[in-house]
Amino acid sequence: MAEIFKSVVCPICGCLCDDLEATVENNEIVKMKNGCAVCEAKMVHGYKSDERILEPYIRKDGKLVPVSMDEAICKAAQILTDAKYPLLFGWTSSVSETQHVGVELAEELGGALDNCCSVCHGPSVMAIQEIGIPTATLGQIRHRADLIVYWACDPWSSHPRHVERYTAFTDGRFEKSEFKEYVQKLKAKASQKKVDAAIRRTQVRYQPSQPPKAAIVEAPPQSLAKAGRKMIVFDVRKTMTAEVADYFVQVEPNTDYEIFGALRCLVNDQELDIDKVGGVPVEYLKEIVDAMVNADFGAIFFGLGLTQSVGRFRNIEIAIAMTRDLNRKTKFVIAPMRGHFNVTGANTVFAWQTGYPFALDFSQGYPQYNPGEFTANDLLRRGDNDATLVISADPGAHFPKSSIQNMMKHPLITINPDWNAISRLGDVVFPTQWCGIEQAGTAYRMDSIPVTLKKIVEAPKGILADEEIVRRILEKVRDIKAQKNEKDIQGQQQILERKM
Amino acid sequence: MITITPKRKFDVPIQAACINVDVFTGKTLNEIKKLAITEGKENLTLDDAFDLTEDKTLETPNITLTGDFSKVKRIGQGMKTGEIIINGNVGMHTGEKLAGGKIVINGNSDGWTGSEMKKGLIEIHGDAGDYTASPFRGNSAGMKGGLITVDGNVGSNVGCYLQGGTIKIKGSAGRFLGHHMSDGTIYVEKNCASRAGTFMTGGKIIINGTVELLMPTFTIDSIKPKVKVDATQNAQGPFYVFLGDIAERGTGKIFALKTTNPELATYEKYL
Repeated sequence: MAEIFKSVVCPICGCLCDDLEATVENNEIVKMKNGCAVCEAKMVHGYKSDERILEPYIRKDGKLVPVSMDEAICKAAQILTDAKYPLLFGWTSSVSETQHVGVELAEELGGALDNCCSVCHGPSVMAIQEIGIPTATLGQIRHRADLIVYWACDPWSSHPRHVERYTAFTDGRFEKSEFKEYVQKLKAKASQKKVDAAIRRTQVRYQPSQPPKAAIVEAPPQSLAKAGRKMIVFDVRKTMTAEVADYFVQVEPNTDYEIFGALRCLVNDQELDIDKVGGVPVEYLKEIVDAMVNADFGAIFFGLGLTQSVGRFRNIEIAIAMTRDLNRKTKFVIAPMRGHFNVTGANTVFAWQTGYPFALDFSQGYPQYNPGEFTANDLLRRGDNDATLVISADPGAHFPKSSIQNMMKHPLITINPDWNAISRLGDVVFPTQWCGIEQAGTAYRMDSIPVTLKKIVEAPKGILADEEIVRRILEKVRDIKAQKNEKDIQGQQQILERKM
Repeated sequence: MITITPKRKFDVPIQAACINVDVFTGKTLNEIKKLAITEGKENLTLDDAFDLTEDKTLETPNITLTGDFSKVKRIGQGMKTGEIIINGNVGMHTGEKLAGGKIVINGNSDGWTGSEMKKGLIEIHGDAGDYTASPFRGNSAGMKGGLITVDGNVGSNVGCYLQGGTIKIKGSAGRFLGHHMSDGTIYVEKNCASRAGTFMTGGKIIINGTVELLMPTFTIDSIKPKVKVDATQNAQGPFYVFLGDIAERGTGKIFALKTTNPELATYEKYL
């Protein structure tokens, strides 16, 4: 008997689309409606893969051996209490309730606490602390924005429904969708490609192949001056999003900072002493600035191309400074394209618990914050920590080799639903439920709006929610510490008695 | 004089803000040995991690550290008087908020050395890390006075939010040198990476080698034959003088040596 769940929230990217329909048969999702390809891949196929961890494991003599949940929790708690400086990393693909318990655990252990945002949008958070941020919710952008700038991100591939739900392709209250125009443009482009290919094939026998042309930035099109929604993409390569944009500016890698600097000068009506910045002629930049200033409501979205290229958080700082300058002439907002579905939640929860969004240290008994000093990668690279807990993340696949080598010198505890790279390296491996599929909870959308995730199917028997695993580890840690204190007090009493 | 040497190799970072002449003054060696430090979450005393010996014949330097201190943080934090000599590499936040006295590092220093310092002298006879003389995250008040000299190279984000004082670098400097500075002087004897002086509103950066890439937000002002670094030193030019950051309506100056920067000659047409 098929059961249909409506208004399901998708637990994959920061968009948290909440208009999905899931069809469930025999406790299995068989069909998703309204979702993107990424959503379907995870919700219909991915979550029930053969790589699922079904019981807890402990590494004994170099081999992972299945054990009971109690034994694994005892072992994990013992490792964490014995460590002088444990690191708790991950959290961004779990629900906010788990993150809340995580902060408690880190405080109890006196360790370092970091989330995946230190390797994605942490620089954005740091820039906001330096300069502030003029931003808006996605709903406001959907209804009002008439100029959308995607800078160093490719939502068509990474957040497939972002353009469709929140920006250019959606019908807002005050701005109409540009979808039809884009479809026409895409069709025209497709036929142009066919013609080009046909011509190339007829010539290939007679002409040697041409060397690829260097990227030349095209002049801004007339359509930038039109009424209605416009989309500009800045990137180092022509992405799928760039294909559907009104204007694509191909910048030289690692020159975004200089381009922002030049744009700021032009917004402030100042003259530049040079003709070209980052491969883009200054007269084109002037036209872009004109389009920006003439917009009624502009929105800039930026991605990892800014936060993880040379300059890191300084790139975001100057992008926000430009938005601030634009706000003297028109209305402009800026927003990060957050990746994991609850990475914003991790920042929010850590911030309301401790005052700081990531890169935390509890070794002094109170929270300290310093990216570069307490961020997971920096700690691991220097080899500062002596035990690691990884939850709902896969640094094994994404961290540099030197970090993982240092991580492997010490015990490693993992809490993940499936056998990813880091689970295979773990000394204590916990299975867990998929958040948003088998476990309900709260997640924060990329614009910091909390959304409730639903439970659609039952988890396999014996697999606990990650919140419960972390809570049980926390309780065990408290038990061990209490016993240790008792022993210490008894020992001191015995010494005193002997002295008497 | 008190000599401190590590008892063992440290795995996890040690926070030792108590290694500070002001704290040591007026205490006996046994009292000093009982001062609290932390190793990770463990609370220890100085005696647990370090060997301490006292040499009553010597007055200065007040404290000598010998060995690898690269995992020991916050040495000389907030110090007002006295002298510390470190023979070896040292960890983060050394001489943070220094308000007087002298710290000599015969080795490399790590991040945030001399952060938010007000007075005094820090000599680094090796390389200095990122964020040297830069304030803590989110703080817009940087180094206010004093002198930092570095014999080797420095990392990125050095001298951010500088409000006074002098930084002299004998090697090369990384990106974002003097970011957001409003006063003070930074002198680089060799090359400087791109994005120097971004957001600066005052002060001067003198580059005696090549400038990797000048920000478009700087405009040429003049050519000067020489420039004053501080009361004791002048740099011989000729120098291109750039004003900026114009996006911030700033009047900071970048002096770039003419002979080593032929690509900046294109700016001469605006003079």
